Amino acid sequence: MARAAVVGADMTEFGVHDRSLQELFGEAALGAFADAGVEPSAVDAFYFGNAMGGQTENDTHLGPKLASHVGIAGVPVQRFEDACATSANAFKNAVEAVEAGIHDVVLVGGVERCTPETGKDTAEMTRIFASASHRQYEQPTGLTFPGVFALFTKRHMHEYGTTEEQLAEVAVKNHGNGALNPNAHFGKETTVEEALEGPVVADPFRLMDCCPFSDGASAVVVVSDDAADSYDEPVDVGGVGHATDVVPICDKETPHVTQAARDAASQAYDQAGTSADEMDFAEVHDCFTGAEILASEAIGFVEDGQGGAAAEEGVTARDGERPINPSGGLKAKGHPIGATGTGQIVELAEHLRGDAGERQIEGAERAVAHNLGGDAATTVVTVMEARE
Amino acid sequence: MSETLTHGEWNRAVQEGELLGQHCEECDHTQGTPKAACPYCGSTDLETVELPTEGEVYTETTINVPPEGIDERGYQVAVVQVGDARVMGRLVDQEIDIGDRVVLSGFDEDDQGNATPRFEAQ
Repeated sequence: MARAAVVGADMTEFGVHDRSLQELFGEAALGAFADAGVEPSAVDAFYFGNAMGGQTENDTHLGPKLASHVGIAGVPVQRFEDACATSANAFKNAVEAVEAGIHDVVLVGGVERCTPETGKDTAEMTRIFASASHRQYEQPTGLTFPGVFALFTKRHMHEYGTTEEQLAEVAVKNHGNGALNPNAHFGKETTVEEALEGPVVADPFRLMDCCPFSDGASAVVVVSDDAADSYDEPVDVGGVGHATDVVPICDKETPHVTQAARDAASQAYDQAGTSADEMDFAEVHDCFTGAEILASEAIGFVEDGQGGAAAEEGVTARDGERPINPSGGLKAKGHPIGATGTGQIVELAEHLRGDAGERQIEGAERAVAHNLGGDAATTVVTVMEARE
Repeated sequence: MSETLTHGEWNRAVQEGELLGQHCEECDHTQGTPKAACPYCGSTDLETVELPTEGEVYTETTINVPPEGIDERGYQVAVVQVGDARVMGRLVDQEIDIGDRVVLSGFDEDDQGNATPRFEAQ
């Protein structure tokens, strides 16, 4: 039995937007209502994600503000903040609430603005992102988020011989997929040569190894397993795993294995009564190319140490044996922090309904989403299946 | 219950050329930064220990796009294995690789007085 079902899903284009948070979120939320065929009056709770609105836009008590904007004022609203795993955590809590019979129809989504439209330049935004690392034991070194994942990736390269060319292959793959996604921030293909010529941000990462600062919103409507059949095209949520790892990085036992992702993935597969081998594709948190390589191993799609080779050999390509990030991932689709987690759920729902257009994974019946936050400290993994 | 190492004490030690960590008397784990309980077993039976001031680079990166507030570019951040624990810090010599031996050689400090260990090649 499914834990819950997604009956409506929508997102804005991820990219640069000059609209306010409520207007951006309104587009995704009303799109999700329309997709589900529900009126706002049918919604009885709102689980909402935004990570940095206080720091980026001096905008903090967003729950009631957004609820009012989308016609659901009065319902209980809770805001989630879990760095880049913000809206996946909102989604997990919504699934649990529906499953427990607390709510019947729940709006879940997230919104964030990270581009210079906020008035913040790259250096300011880099500092704000770094606030998700440890204030006392990481930030004083001048660590940035590319730096966090560079530390993990360099150790992986040392242990397994993963190469910069293999990192570039991840960028090439995801840009190729993003070029087929009308909602992607980057709609342009790239090459390994172009990726390897970019300026170094934090070695081994060059510009093309890094996801962009994006603005955007995403939203889904979640209902109980029982109620799902009364909607068109429900997509089942089989399991949602959620785990954390030790912070700061220096106190993690083996930083590059991203233990929280492994724990969350095994919980999600167990809840759904399935395994990595049964998944037709994955959306993973590729904030940096190296992060996708670590994630591909953590969710069990490729053997430990083989993430780089799998990207190079096309195993994780859209037409490969273990497709990863058909949306283009964070790398090409974009990364509006609080909108990323439910954005992955939107992508899963579209493929499992057969509605993903040119980037459709043919015949996809089961898929997994992996959304990571902070210095690999939080990970939420979700398994979804097409309803029979 | 033994005493709990504070950030202030850890910070002062770094400024005085020492590295303090915690050893868990319950599960034998040693960590490089203070906590109220062991992150691996939850025990509060933590003993403050002096960590070695020399060790081996576990992983490193050179940051070329710094956050607001840092003017320099191309500084090297590393996680260094010191005895049974690891600490994060800066490397002063460029081109230090994973596996290289390094020794504590001072500290860097942010605008709020938070210190971070500085290591140089041994």
